[in-house]
Amino acid sequence: MMGWFVVYYRELILMKKKMGKLGYVFSSVMFPVIYLFAFSWGLGSRLEISGGYIPYLAKGILGITVMLNAFQQTSLSVSVGRMYFKTLQTLILSPIPLIQVAGGLVLAGATRGLLLGGVVYGIAWLIFAVPGLNGAALCGVILAAFFFAALGLVVGLWVAEPDDLSLVNNFLITPMIFFGGSFFPEQHFPVFVRELIAILPLSLVNSLLRLPVWEEAALLKAAGLLVFSCLMLWLGARKLALYSE
Amino acid sequence: MSSLSVSHTTLAMDLVPNPVLELKNISKIYQGRTVVDNLSLQIGAGEVFGLVGPNGAGKTTLMKIIAGLSQPCSGRLTIFNRDGLAERAQLKPLIGWVPQDNNLERELTVREALALYARLFAARPFQPRVQQIMTEFNLESIGERRIELLSGGMARRVLIARAILPEPKLLLLDEPTVGLDPDVRQDIWQLIRSLAAQGKTIFMTTHYMDEAEQLCDRLALLKAGSLLMTGTPAAMKSMAEGKPHSAVTLEAAFLRLIRRGAE
Repeated sequence: MMGWFVVYYRELILMKKKMGKLGYVFSSVMFPVIYLFAFSWGLGSRLEISGGYIPYLAKGILGITVMLNAFQQTSLSVSVGRMYFKTLQTLILSPIPLIQVAGGLVLAGATRGLLLGGVVYGIAWLIFAVPGLNGAALCGVILAAFFFAALGLVVGLWVAEPDDLSLVNNFLITPMIFFGGSFFPEQHFPVFVRELIAILPLSLVNSLLRLPVWEEAALLKAAGLLVFSCLMLWLGARKLALYSE
Repeated sequence: MSSLSVSHTTLAMDLVPNPVLELKNISKIYQGRTVVDNLSLQIGAGEVFGLVGPNGAGKTTLMKIIAGLSQPCSGRLTIFNRDGLAERAQLKPLIGWVPQDNNLERELTVREALALYARLFAARPFQPRVQQIMTEFNLESIGERRIELLSGGMARRVLIARAILPEPKLLLLDEPTVGLDPDVRQDIWQLIRSLAAQGKTIFMTTHYMDEAEQLCDRLALLKAGSLLMTGTPAAMKSMAEGKPHSAVTLEAAFLRLIRRGAE
């Protein structure tokens, strides 16, 4: 069995155990589902967006769900496993190459992000009859899962205490949620803000999610996300190699 | 200065022919504090070697350096004739690590946890090896019990079983019986004796002098990151009293040496 797969398998077993607890799934999808209903009912009839606001919002919320679950699952599980339960020691001491350990952890975080993203988009599809995802959107959502899981790995290995995680959530994740074009188009934002947020990973994901057809610009955005993801994966493996208690 | 006196200058590292583990001038400074100070030590194949010392002496840090969980600031570490820092990947399957605290995945059952570690540590063939270890360590009756529900003694038993899964040659035990009742301690001692009888080299830390005396062939006495002495338990007692055949207990000898080392 390949080393990365053993690590991935380990994470999936642990995830399966947690998924059995009702609170785990609910707490993971509750926040995006509340936003879905609140914004649909509150703004749905007021915003003029080609294709309709609810499909626009559902895709934005899909991006948020994938980001939150991929990032938080990985950062929390890695940081807690490193600082409190010391379960990360087992992975560090195993003969599996550390790049594969990093790969397995990222893949598991991405899987969780995609699964819960699927649940939330499924709810939107069932209740609001939002359309399915095209190739560009699927590419965006998969890359989002990988990027944010890899970011979670780096952050989980970097933080010195749990408070540092909320720092990243407050200063990086939350601004991306509200400024990254998830809930409403950013066209009314000041120009310099638009230019700044255009390069945020969640903005790239959102633009891929909403592309009607695959085009050259999409390829660039996808390539950007892929490069970011690989960079984060490499950084994660590097942090694992420098692991010292 | 008497040849039996304990001091940083006279102190001597026992030289072992063909050591399997050799630390040379290992130092570790953590958050501005010297945790391990220029420490040198050799351990021979098949030895049960004990590291004793008061709290904060640097025992666990030294253990983690050997395990590969902590990087020393300077010095050389040689394990099975390989560079313990540069060739860590090749050494990983040869070293078993039993931490002081239970770091098993709490959500898993004992059987699931061992099966998972067998895969992580490539202990082949997986299922027969897991079954063999469960039988050997008498874990079958608790195989379906979740880790979080295990008693301290049972968890320690599973931790040792996990470390043994890939059949390491060097076993590192950090305080293997801390917090356990006397009955369970005896049980763990028996386990350690049987592993030593299989020819494994065992490097352990302990706070219990009776444990050190019962299990260890040789001891190293550590204080504030420095090595005060190495020798057999009998040699440690002799050194404490300054005569060859001493009637003091190892605990009394330990206290004398620690206090003398502080002077």
